[in-house]
Amino acid sequence: MDKALLIQLLGSAVAVSLLVAIAAWARIPRPTPPLGARSARALLAEEFPDDPVDTLWIAADGAGLIARSGERALVAWRKGDGYVARDLAWSAALAAKTHNGFVVVKTADGAPRLALKDGVWPPPQLVSPNFVSGEAAA
Amino acid sequence: MKTFDPVQLAIPFFVLAVILEIVLARMGKADARYEAKDTAMSLTLGLGSSIAGAILGGAIFAATVWVWQHRIFTIPMTAIWAWVILFFAEDLTYYWFHRIAHERRFWWASHVNHHTSTHYNLSTALRQTWTGGVVGTWLLWLPLSFLGFPPAMVAIQKGISLIYQFWIHTEAIKRMPKWFEAVFNTPSHHRVHHARNARYLDANYAGILIIWDRLFGTFIPEVDEEPCRYGTVKNLASFNLFTNVFHEFVGMAKDVAGHPRHALGYIFGPPGWSHDGSRDTSHTLKAKWRARLEREGEAASPLNQEPAPRS
Repeated sequence: MDKALLIQLLGSAVAVSLLVAIAAWARIPRPTPPLGARSARALLAEEFPDDPVDTLWIAADGAGLIARSGERALVAWRKGDGYVARDLAWSAALAAKTHNGFVVVKTADGAPRLALKDGVWPPPQLVSPNFVSGEAAA
Repeated sequence: MKTFDPVQLAIPFFVLAVILEIVLARMGKADARYEAKDTAMSLTLGLGSSIAGAILGGAIFAATVWVWQHRIFTIPMTAIWAWVILFFAEDLTYYWFHRIAHERRFWWASHVNHHTSTHYNLSTALRQTWTGGVVGTWLLWLPLSFLGFPPAMVAIQKGISLIYQFWIHTEAIKRMPKWFEAVFNTPSHHRVHHARNARYLDANYAGILIIWDRLFGTFIPEVDEEPCRYGTVKNLASFNLFTNVFHEFVGMAKDVAGHPRHALGYIFGPPGWSHDGSRDTSHTLKAKWRARLEREGEAASPLNQEPAPRS
């Protein structure tokens, strides 16, 4: 490899590392407090504006949510200082497996681990036939 | 063959500007958000793009020289009028490249990684494609060399355009003077371009001059009532570098393999196109957004009106 090119590459790698270190040091990410009922619904309204929310469950650590909209599950989870949103069949969400106090929801291109309060999935209120919208939200 | 490369010269300025933006934001003097993993992704993509460019750059330059050898006119590199014409011609070429890169999936697959950040800061500007050479968007610039502009001249003007587009990737600058906003691409116009809000999709493709968007009906102004939310319609689930670079190509290949009869649609249709209409394109997302506005009775508000399309 050409020596000048190698030096340029190494210099660029050092510069990238320096900039990332400065960005980490600055601690200026977007504020992302744990989701509550209101912020969860606001997030759903942004990500799924045309989908009415029948029921809503928020992860124990506030870092994700699962909402029912008809026969679909709307899922959102934290990534960095933002959220990723996907949907899947409600039946698939209910059938998600648990592992070490988390429910692992398999979406088309991601499998978020959402913290459970008591290790039980699905929470009884999500499968209750008498469920009222918003009842499950913390 | 060594040519003057304004982008190489500008790299130290890029680094200092990113540091300045971070420090000013840290001091509360500028509106900017940085998340370390996101910044690492942007900068690594930038570095990888330089390497990918170096690998294919020689072949692309050779092809450009070959076209120039068969040129119609001989345009002198030293003439001011030639630079003025090239400035407009290159910028118009960039507009169409950028529009195609957003509105046709094959080229979107290459360009998308510039848009996968959910942040909008100076590091986002460096989040460049690795696959631009492979998908052949450089072909769009060949007519300039065929007309007679020397390849080095075209390369320099492309570099100037890239450097110009660096500073507009910021939230720290709200609005430029009105006359400037009317003519040039600005942070405000380009925030709209990077936004994933339905109202802002597929807009403001300009490089340096925003006049092309105004002329071709793709201009959408930023409105304070609806702040831009950045990223792609479906934000990526991962910070994995290779997922960032190749995810849309992988998705496209899966779609083609699953529905070979509809391959052309999945490759050259708009992003989000599907043979059964089960997915959303920018067009359907905007239609749903308009329908929501009407349902909510907000359509009457002038703030919610899109500019009328130009004929």
